[in-house]
Amino acid sequence: MRTRALFVAKLLIVFGVAMTVAAAAQQPSRPSAKASMAAKGPVHEIELPQYPPDLPDGPNKAAFDQKCLLCHSARYVTMQPRFPKAAWEKTVKKMVDAYGAPISPAEQQQVVEYLVAIRGPEGK
Amino acid sequence: MDRRDFNRMLALSGGFAVASQIIGNGNILPEAWAGETVAPIMARFPQKTDMILLTDRPPQLETPLKYFETDLTPNDAFFVRWHLSGVPTSIDTRTYRLEIGGAVKKPLSFTLRELQTKFSSATTVALCQCAGNARSLFVPRVAGGQWGFGAMSNARWKGARLKDVLNAAGVQTSAIQVGFKGLDTAPIPQLPVYQKSLSIERALDGDAILAYEMNGSPLPMLNGFPVRLVVPGWYATYWVKALSTITVLDQPLKTFWMDTAYRVPDNAGAEETPQSLATKTVPITSMSLHSIFVRPTAGEQLRAGQPYSLQGVANDGGSGIRKVEVSTDDGKTWSDARLGNDLGKLSWRLWRMDWTPPGKGTFKLMVKAVSNDGAEQVTAQWNRSGYQRDVIESVEVVAI
Repeated sequence: MRTRALFVAKLLIVFGVAMTVAAAAQQPSRPSAKASMAAKGPVHEIELPQYPPDLPDGPNKAAFDQKCLLCHSARYVTMQPRFPKAAWEKTVKKMVDAYGAPISPAEQQQVVEYLVAIRGPEGK
Repeated sequence: MDRRDFNRMLALSGGFAVASQIIGNGNILPEAWAGETVAPIMARFPQKTDMILLTDRPPQLETPLKYFETDLTPNDAFFVRWHLSGVPTSIDTRTYRLEIGGAVKKPLSFTLRELQTKFSSATTVALCQCAGNARSLFVPRVAGGQWGFGAMSNARWKGARLKDVLNAAGVQTSAIQVGFKGLDTAPIPQLPVYQKSLSIERALDGDAILAYEMNGSPLPMLNGFPVRLVVPGWYATYWVKALSTITVLDQPLKTFWMDTAYRVPDNAGAEETPQSLATKTVPITSMSLHSIFVRPTAGEQLRAGQPYSLQGVANDGGSGIRKVEVSTDDGKTWSDARLGNDLGKLSWRLWRMDWTPPGKGTFKLMVKAVSNDGAEQVTAQWNRSGYQRDVIESVEVVAI
């Protein structure tokens, strides 16, 4: 499962492919016990698990998957309370202006539409 | 009132305050909102125990409140917060170097071993607390990491004094700040790398430690192995993890992380309102006076007539805790709690008070602390970023 989730994550990063996320989302990936321990020698190494949330379907989910998951987990969204559309617009704009997210104005509108659908005042 | 009734009460109240309070006590996932109740998702990361999951990439892990019943938070339960998804996952102590450069007479570079042996070590117990700890309790709600009370942990730090290391390099008279950067990297080149700065005075005042041990062990990777900057009394935004570069500056550090993020209204309580946002903001620095309940948690059922040990922790930004007062009657009367071990002014202070619910029913418990410098907590507070919470906390319990 771990390998599969990592593979999916790579797919997301490289191709922005989203369709396979839902299937992998149910089961968090877990590092092996060995990977959980730092080395006793000079090299200290960890392997980070992923716990992708089960994201609801919605309009322009593909845009969200492609643009937002490039830098961070969808849990950045699913942990938020519901916010009005203006607040989500502000958040997406911040991602572009402050953090340099490569999202065109048209794509920003698509992403906002999905965010409002799942975390707007009356979202899923 | 059973659990289901309690949830219904939450839903009916529709009130952020009630829901937030529950969230703050770690009973409900931060996803909960206005009465939604969801079980917290626990996650197991390397070198960590089961932690409350906020985000997995980059990791943000909240310490469950049960670990706040001891003076020092175990390393594997110490909260985790990274900003950039390029978290360092492999560090070779043979090649790791801490570089000190910029406006210094002699740039220096140290291995971990050199840092441990070339400088006399300093040890201090200090609370590490995220600026946005308890953000989920702000009303109206604000965007950001939706922490309950567990974005803080208390540890005994051992390391070289920042002052000693800077003096070894020889700070030039033109210096006004010191900048700090770790090994974490941004997922895209446009994203500003995480860095922070201290004034030269703060950097040289002897408080700050380049910590290579917490609670007697090397730092877990996710808490900043091999070296973490410890700035006792100040919020964790300055406690740069996996520290790699220290740069003495003769110009203010220009970075998103100082100029835009981690700023608060320029007043004592970090106060503003949504209708009237502060026009002047300053970088957040010293921790506010605050106190919380560790037990009971909201909605917990107590036995009428049976003694119960109320417990919690209190902290401020470095003067120390003078007293903690607890009310069991919705703030009408207050009694002094017993303070726990004194581990120094930069540590949090555990408190405890025995209480016997006098009868069946619902009780609103409240806690407030007074610091040695005379500061008191407030009844309400808000700012746009959910920083620096100093509100008198309350918890509702049911005696049966």
